[in-house]
Amino acid sequence: MDTVSVENEVIMADDGIVKPVAGGRATIDRDNRETVGDVTAKNPRMRCREVSVFYGEKQAIHDVSLDVGSNEVIALIGPSGCGKSTFLRCLNRMNDTIDGCRVIGDISLDGDSIFDTKMDVVQLRAQVGMVFQKPNPFPKSIFENVAYGPRIHGLTRDKTELEAVVHTSLDRAGLLDEVKDRLGEPGTGLSGGQQQRLCIARAIAVNPEVILMDEPCSALDPIATARIEELIDELREQYAIAIVTHSMQQAARVSQRTAYFHLGDLIEIGETNQVFTNPHHQLTEDYITGRFG
Amino acid sequence: MSNGTITGAGNPGRTIDTVRAGLDRRYRAERRFRIYGLSAIVLGLLFVSILFITIIGNGYPAFQQTYVKLDIDFDPESLGIGDQRSNAALSGANYQALVRNALKVRFPDVTGRSDRRALNSLISSGASYQLRDAVLDDPTIIGTRRSVWVPADDDVDQLVKGHMDRAAAEGDRRLKDNQLAWLDQLQADGAIEKRFNTTFFTAGDSREPELAGIRGALMGSVFTLIVTLALSFPIGVATAVYLEEFAPRNRWTDLIEVNINNLAAVPSIVFGLLGLAVFINFFGLPRSAPLVGGLVLTLMTLPTIIIASRAALKSVPPSIRDAALGVGASRVQAVTHHILPLAMPGMLTGAIIGMAQALGESAPLLMIGMVAFIVDVPGGFTDPSTVLPVQIYLWADSPERGFVERTSAAIMVLLGFLIVMNALAVLLRKRFERRW
Repeated sequence: MDTVSVENEVIMADDGIVKPVAGGRATIDRDNRETVGDVTAKNPRMRCREVSVFYGEKQAIHDVSLDVGSNEVIALIGPSGCGKSTFLRCLNRMNDTIDGCRVIGDISLDGDSIFDTKMDVVQLRAQVGMVFQKPNPFPKSIFENVAYGPRIHGLTRDKTELEAVVHTSLDRAGLLDEVKDRLGEPGTGLSGGQQQRLCIARAIAVNPEVILMDEPCSALDPIATARIEELIDELREQYAIAIVTHSMQQAARVSQRTAYFHLGDLIEIGETNQVFTNPHHQLTEDYITGRFG
Repeated sequence: MSNGTITGAGNPGRTIDTVRAGLDRRYRAERRFRIYGLSAIVLGLLFVSILFITIIGNGYPAFQQTYVKLDIDFDPESLGIGDQRSNAALSGANYQALVRNALKVRFPDVTGRSDRRALNSLISSGASYQLRDAVLDDPTIIGTRRSVWVPADDDVDQLVKGHMDRAAAEGDRRLKDNQLAWLDQLQADGAIEKRFNTTFFTAGDSREPELAGIRGALMGSVFTLIVTLALSFPIGVATAVYLEEFAPRNRWTDLIEVNINNLAAVPSIVFGLLGLAVFINFFGLPRSAPLVGGLVLTLMTLPTIIIASRAALKSVPPSIRDAALGVGASRVQAVTHHILPLAMPGMLTGAIIGMAQALGESAPLLMIGMVAFIVDVPGGFTDPSTVLPVQIYLWADSPERGFVERTSAAIMVLLGFLIVMNALAVLLRKRFERRW
């Protein structure tokens, strides 16, 4: 093992969050699994505190705390199997659908716990939209894909309103110009990048507060990826966005804050700039310099 | 760097040489494998064509029936009704006498009781029913004289169709020499004719081959299958959806799953016994009824439909489920809006396989009395009836030569029914099919 000196450049704050002393450089030993950095956001939309996830007996996430702030993009990075997707799926309780999956800890949306009995999971998912790794449009028309959410939630009163919602959603997803003449055609007939933008349009059609993106560009070519990244940047003006990505360049390009996960632990979190240029934790540095992962 | 770089023990030379040396063997193996497959298909097709050729060859004569033209005198005295014209009187009249009189007029020189009886036996006993129906239809024909084509007896029918050897000794023939002579006379007059056998499609079962029809069994099968489909499809789909989409994975659901798979392998006659004990003896439902038959076949088909439906549900990509849940659909909405429509083609295939099985099933129906000799065409779900495969079994068991061809014809009707059902399933599947 490399000899990394553990100097006392870390202080424990009152709330149990480890905060680094400015100017330090990858000085925290690999064996230290306490989170480094400030987990709080300026305008938190979602707050997660000491979230642990178990698959049966196996613990996949250990006591992760982190905020998702308004008008910011937080990137979750880390090697495969580190639990970043699992964590993301906790935020809109998609893990409920997995047998044997148990989530403990506290997650709140605008101050209300999402595990509260008063919180309906359907309502939660209407507020916290999700875009998946593989584009997954419904095998229905483009229009029906986008209209599905507003329709099941009863967001529109009549057909004209529904059409307006579909049009604005497609417009905001940057897809309207390409598909406006063929809204009746199946969404599955679009190209991969278009399908993913259709899925984003579908997610924003229900006007959520938070959008979760699980490696939205991993199945796309660089051009389509660039379009989606542009789009994420635009969407930030209205929504809080959490994105899981394997591409560190992407994380650097689109996010304001970055959280680095390692084997179910949140290792380091901070301003994207700082995490990439001046990581405090040795594991983070190893990862972003490509030593593993 | 060729020799000995990658080679292990006993493998000298370059890799490419070793591969090349083995290529021939590989190609031979491939060719052999293809020949096995091809011969399996050819053999299968051969057996299917033999089956079809024998069935059609045996069965097509049944679609024709020999008729004899008689000059019938609708004489009220012979009918024994005098001046009465009420329906009851007309139904009960002696139409057999009209046939006998017509034959007597046609062959005046036949005297003697046994000769007369031999002559009368050339005409089917169904002739009198035909005359009765004609009179009931239009009573004004009483007192007139008309030529009527009446069905011939099945022995005559077989002779005309060439299934009887005239050269055989008289004692070995069902028709005697004098009968043959009379028939030749009729034939010479053009009074014998083969016509399309409508009776076969309109009548129920009968002891007389020329009067036996498939309609009763066909309607019995239709009613039975309606009950089966109406019960097994919704129950099967609901079970599959619950087990696949809602039920937690635990020991109970595992147990249920194992049991469903085992039920699919239970011999069908056991379901018949169960139906007899439960539906007939305990619930007191009528015997021989399509309702009970349908219930029994539902039990038999359910496992098939459940297993096929679960496979269809499993084959729906999870991403669709995630997508629906991700925009905030409830589980029920995700299932009814997205998963069920996508799984529907597979479920329909399962249902149709189950229905085809049910259509061809006879053993469990024997236990609940659907093997009875039933002449009337059933008009509802509780009327006594039989079904096509049981009818085939009954006819195959009958000694008369006329039933041989009717058995094959019934098999053809059964196959036709199956083809129609499968075509319907393909059509439905095409309609529901969606790509993703």
